[in-house]
Amino acid sequence: MATRFRTVQGGARQSNKEETYFDYSLLFTVLFLIAFGLMMIYSSSSYRANLDYNDSAHFLKNQLRSALLGIAAMIVVSRIPYHFWERLAFPAYIVSAVLIVLVKTPLGITSHGATRWLKILGFSLQPAEVAKLGMVIFLAFLVCRMGKRIRTWKGLFTLMIPPAIIGVMVWKITQNMSSAIIILGIAMLMIFVASPDYKRFIIMAAVGSAAVALIVFSIVKMASSPEMMEKLEFRGLRILAWLNPEAYADGKGFQTLQALYAIGSGGIFGKGLGESLQKLGFLPEAQNDMIFSIICEELGLFGGIAVIIMFLMLIWRLMIIANNAPDLYGALLVVGVMGHIAVQVILNIAVVTNTIPNTGISLPFISYGGSSVMFLLIEIGITLSVAKGIRLKDL
Amino acid sequence: MSGKNKTYNRKKVVVLFFFYMAAFLLLSVRLVDLMIFQSAYYTDRAQQLHERERSIKAARGRILDRNGVVLADNKTVCTISVIHSQLEDSEEVISFLCEKLELSEEFVRKRVEKVSSMERIRSNVPKELGDEIREADLPGVKVDEDYKRYYPYDALASKVLGFTGGDNQGIIGLEVIYDEYLSGEEGMILTLTDAAGIELEAASEHRKEPVPGNDLVVSLDYNIQSYATQLAKQVMATKEADRVSLIVMNPQNGEIMAMVDVPEFNLNEPYTLTPEYEALRAKEEARRQAAIEAKRAQSENAGEEPAKEETKSEEELRQEKLNGMWRNGCINDTYEPGSTFKVITAAAALETGCVTLSDTFSCPGFIVVDDRKIRCHKVGGHGAEDFTKGICNSCNPVFVTLGLRVGAERYYDCLKQFGLLERTGVDLPGEAGTIMHRKDAIGNVELATMSFGQSFQITPLQLATTVSSLVNGGRRITPHLAVRAVDEKGVSVESFEKEAGRQIVSAETSETMRGLLEKVVSEGGGSKAQIEGYRIGGKTATSQTLPRGSGRYIASFVGFSPADDPQVLALVVIHSPQGTYYGGQIAAPVIRQLFENVLPYLEK
Repeated sequence: MATRFRTVQGGARQSNKEETYFDYSLLFTVLFLIAFGLMMIYSSSSYRANLDYNDSAHFLKNQLRSALLGIAAMIVVSRIPYHFWERLAFPAYIVSAVLIVLVKTPLGITSHGATRWLKILGFSLQPAEVAKLGMVIFLAFLVCRMGKRIRTWKGLFTLMIPPAIIGVMVWKITQNMSSAIIILGIAMLMIFVASPDYKRFIIMAAVGSAAVALIVFSIVKMASSPEMMEKLEFRGLRILAWLNPEAYADGKGFQTLQALYAIGSGGIFGKGLGESLQKLGFLPEAQNDMIFSIICEELGLFGGIAVIIMFLMLIWRLMIIANNAPDLYGALLVVGVMGHIAVQVILNIAVVTNTIPNTGISLPFISYGGSSVMFLLIEIGITLSVAKGIRLKDL
Repeated sequence: MSGKNKTYNRKKVVVLFFFYMAAFLLLSVRLVDLMIFQSAYYTDRAQQLHERERSIKAARGRILDRNGVVLADNKTVCTISVIHSQLEDSEEVISFLCEKLELSEEFVRKRVEKVSSMERIRSNVPKELGDEIREADLPGVKVDEDYKRYYPYDALASKVLGFTGGDNQGIIGLEVIYDEYLSGEEGMILTLTDAAGIELEAASEHRKEPVPGNDLVVSLDYNIQSYATQLAKQVMATKEADRVSLIVMNPQNGEIMAMVDVPEFNLNEPYTLTPEYEALRAKEEARRQAAIEAKRAQSENAGEEPAKEETKSEEELRQEKLNGMWRNGCINDTYEPGSTFKVITAAAALETGCVTLSDTFSCPGFIVVDDRKIRCHKVGGHGAEDFTKGICNSCNPVFVTLGLRVGAERYYDCLKQFGLLERTGVDLPGEAGTIMHRKDAIGNVELATMSFGQSFQITPLQLATTVSSLVNGGRRITPHLAVRAVDEKGVSVESFEKEAGRQIVSAETSETMRGLLEKVVSEGGGSKAQIEGYRIGGKTATSQTLPRGSGRYIASFVGFSPADDPQVLALVVIHSPQGTYYGGQIAAPVIRQLFENVLPYLEK
């Protein structure tokens, strides 16, 4: 599957002119995922869309428009030499922060009980998606500037401050903890690659895991006494619903349980495309965060695994590009994009299979959501631009 | 800004890739677990969430008499509904349904114009009308067929057959006892729905066909039952009696051929109180009031506060009345059998060897037991008489003497042996038990009164059954109605025939009893039951209704034929007849009329 396409310029007139590289595998994988996503969005939303909007293609049309815009943006970005983004590193960071704050102004849109969107020039935009791209561009630049200082604890923490600020803003201002986690995750992965050290990261991972375990343990402990139970916020309840969704079937466990019904009832070969029953109003956000469970219900275990393999292939292409990037800056850009996609895929599938507590994370390229698909395509554009810098003789 | 992409950077990217791959692998394992190993569980749960069940009624089994006459049947009725989304011309539908169903326009309009998936306009519409509405073929009008229990002969054997409720379940009578055979199995239509409960048209329907119930063949004979009912009604009318119970059974095997307890009620309208029953209630109420008045007068004299009467709600009162109307006096109520019980005393005395046919007695018109003087019904006394004469005369002192000879201990044991202390085991619900003294509470006075059928109570069916068993050769029978359950193809599914049970008296005693009772009819008090050319045995009874002194009586007669080999036994109990109240005068002729028709009919 790793066929490499080369555009041979000059044909027979082979000269000193270097051959340029274009990663078609990556492009086709992404296009495939988007096309597949559009199909699944239609399948999972048409019934409800027909009832709610009197137009079964309501969600499909919205997503198609965003995808086309995103593809156009991707093509444009892929033609821009990636070093162009160095100049935008600080502006990107500042724009991200400003957009997050703007959510609190009248430009903000409240939906699903949280204010996470902005309405600008008739487009709705999720600042958290901008911030993810902003973080990739900014941090790649910052790491390169830092040079060898990254090898010290101090350098490490200095690098972590800007992502932490944005993370806390996303979490507290837009009440979007999952995006905050993803932004921090992207940052950590980029710093990990940039640093030659392993030990420090292992220590940090161990401390982080211990903290998570402690939190889960204390919540479970709290739940055993009724008066403490009342103090548990909804995030605490989410943990309890995760451990036993059937006991919270009417509340926090509802969506998870419905997703499990969808996945479990799919079986090995699924009910067939379009045959999902859970999408008929049972499973909330069927075309959105929960789309993977509808894929499993309709296309079965084979469909689910096939999607995972497609993502694995995408990440593998990103690894190849990162490792062949002309310089560290280009490599880090790609590592950021790779981290973004991988973390979201892993967390999304983990949520719908109730492997981790429920939190709103969309499945890259497939879930319904305009901002998400557009910014992901811009990131792919940057990656393609980095890939173009690969000199074939290096391969 | 140069920064080289160094080897360690590349290595770390590879590390990350494998880290991602490991995570993907773990998630795939989780998917395999969910979609293969837990698939059945979640599929089942999801199925429950998506499916809606609609039941299809099963046709209830019919009840047939011994000759195949259908006593309980099913009628197809229709339910008319409107499906709002399919309506084209609602005005036309409204006027059409108003006219056909004879409903007010306001009523129909409200339902037709209501936005719902399906609105019922009227149920239990006769099939012909339903067909007419279906043929009109108006869009949006739906005609569903359904079964309704139907009893072709309205009130015939109403208290025996019983009726069914809205869910096709038996409420009283045979319909209750044989519900599991009659009811069949409901069918099911499983349809898929969306989260709002709207049925999905494209989804395939799972259909489970209903299994119709089994037909029940009973030992009742339509002709005998009809004739017995007619006779009971007739005597109730002419004697202005409260109630008349009449049982006709086969004394050899316990099959009940007729069981009448007038006033009966219309099985097709079981919740409508009949005028006859209302009249009976009024009569009873008047008596009760009179009794209360009398008591009040008494207690006022004694300076006591009259007891407050409990007040019942309209609904409770109505339910109580209905329960009263549905009561089967043959089995649900007990009475003092009176002289008919002398058959039992005689059998007990013969069986224990306390008397022979040649024993002689003397009746001065009373007998003194301990400090009590018990009178014979003949004030002057019967004088000297042998045992046969004694039973023909129904002479109380003779039977008191027999009772005392047998003694409390043995007498009680005989009652027990005869099966009188247990229920008969008839296949009808709510059979009343015998109300009897405790064995250790039977003194001479109690024993004396028991000997001629007083101071305890049994059901009419218990008496008929015990007499049957004493004259059929001495084997205790179990009275029953059901003969067999038959499936739709007419194949017998289960037989309910009952073998005659244990020997309760010797064949000789039984034969002696037959001879004695034949004498009662040919020469004694039962002469009014005599029919030319037939050998009939029997015993009359006249007892006072409790409490004593009410001036009301119960006249009864139990008869069987042929006297030497009984094939049919009948018992009639007339409650509170006006005017002449002697069993020999008014009850015996009923049995004669019955036998005049039934005996030739059964010989055929």
